[in-house]
Amino acid sequence: MNPQLAGLDDLEGTYVFDLRVSHRAMKLNRFLWNMIGAPARETYKANPDKAMSDAGLTDEEQDLVRKEDWIGLIRHGASFFVLEKFARVAGRTNLEVYAMMRGETFDDFMKTRRVPECR
Amino acid sequence: MAKIIGGIGTSHVPTIGVAYDKGKQNDPAWAPLFEGYKPVADWLAEKKPDVLVFFYNDHATTFFFDLYPTFALGIGERFEIADEGAGKRPLPAVRGNVDLSIHIAESLVNDEFDMTTFQDRAIDHGCASPLPLLWPHAPDWPGAIVPIAINVLQFPIPTAKRCYKLGQALRRAIESYPEDLKVVVVGTGGLSHQVHGERSGFNNEDWDKEFLDLFVKNPDELTKLRHADYIRRGGAESVEQIMWLAMRGALEGEIRELHRNYYLATTTAMTVTLYEPA
Repeated sequence: MNPQLAGLDDLEGTYVFDLRVSHRAMKLNRFLWNMIGAPARETYKANPDKAMSDAGLTDEEQDLVRKEDWIGLIRHGASFFVLEKFARVAGRTNLEVYAMMRGETFDDFMKTRRVPECR
Repeated sequence: MAKIIGGIGTSHVPTIGVAYDKGKQNDPAWAPLFEGYKPVADWLAEKKPDVLVFFYNDHATTFFFDLYPTFALGIGERFEIADEGAGKRPLPAVRGNVDLSIHIAESLVNDEFDMTTFQDRAIDHGCASPLPLLWPHAPDWPGAIVPIAINVLQFPIPTAKRCYKLGQALRRAIESYPEDLKVVVVGTGGLSHQVHGERSGFNNEDWDKEFLDLFVKNPDELTKLRHADYIRRGGAESVEQIMWLAMRGALEGEIRELHRNYYLATTTAMTVTLYEPA
């Protein structure tokens, strides 16, 4: 256990991205990271199933991506910072992704914000 | 001799870049953010620093987790601004200062900070989101940047104290550079926010204010906090505030806070501050 991170076990809704997680979910994170390249985006859009299969994603991972199950992907080991690159491809803003991770509708989530028009 | 004339703390929320590119400077929801940067931009226009050294973090854009540097220093005549999934931004590539970057690399490594160096790589919103609010970019940027990326994404990440010491070492590097350059050190990130998991949207204004006050008066206190303390108090991704401490280390000693703007609109406490040595 990394002593810098000790004592977070009871902190709900937080998934520390450390080398253990990164190692386990490397292929998924690499697939999401590749979305910063226009050719990878086009390849994915042309045939999502083939792109995911070629990237070595497991059936479970492919299913999470297909469903755009953001919280499922985080729990599985995706780093938010590559997930947000895929969100651009999926046409989702970060605010929309936050709402979905919280299990709220976008409108309900924005009602909890101080300046909901700031988007 | 080169000299550090001030420090800037700033959020690097990617949405700031999107709002900037869409021309939302006068949008009532965004104006408090953009207005808050003007005193800092004015100060920079008046002081005319040659260089901004950025302590920032990459967001798995320039580097991927298969080879993720703890501290990485960029060297180049120009740094392209990265496509992060939504295409290129309409900004000119940022200017660099090759000789200064190389001197800083040599000085830091000889000072026992074993930096990774990178060349020919685009840099992301960790640096590019606040930059156009600080410096004009038409027809070109008025000065150069030295980008120093700190891993705050993939644990283990450097401790708060280590970041502070990196800032102290940066100061020694700057002050051993023979050319009379004026340098401003920028620390980016924060303040309170969390952008993953069900805890997304967490903020803590009381802690943000305490952080900003301690930052000036008692930064030592902040260097003693563990990552878990930052995560619990300010939200998981607020741990990146350790990059402000790198800037604080470069301004070691007494400082004056000339400006502070704090705007918590949706999910990140968007903040910009300006400091001068006292």
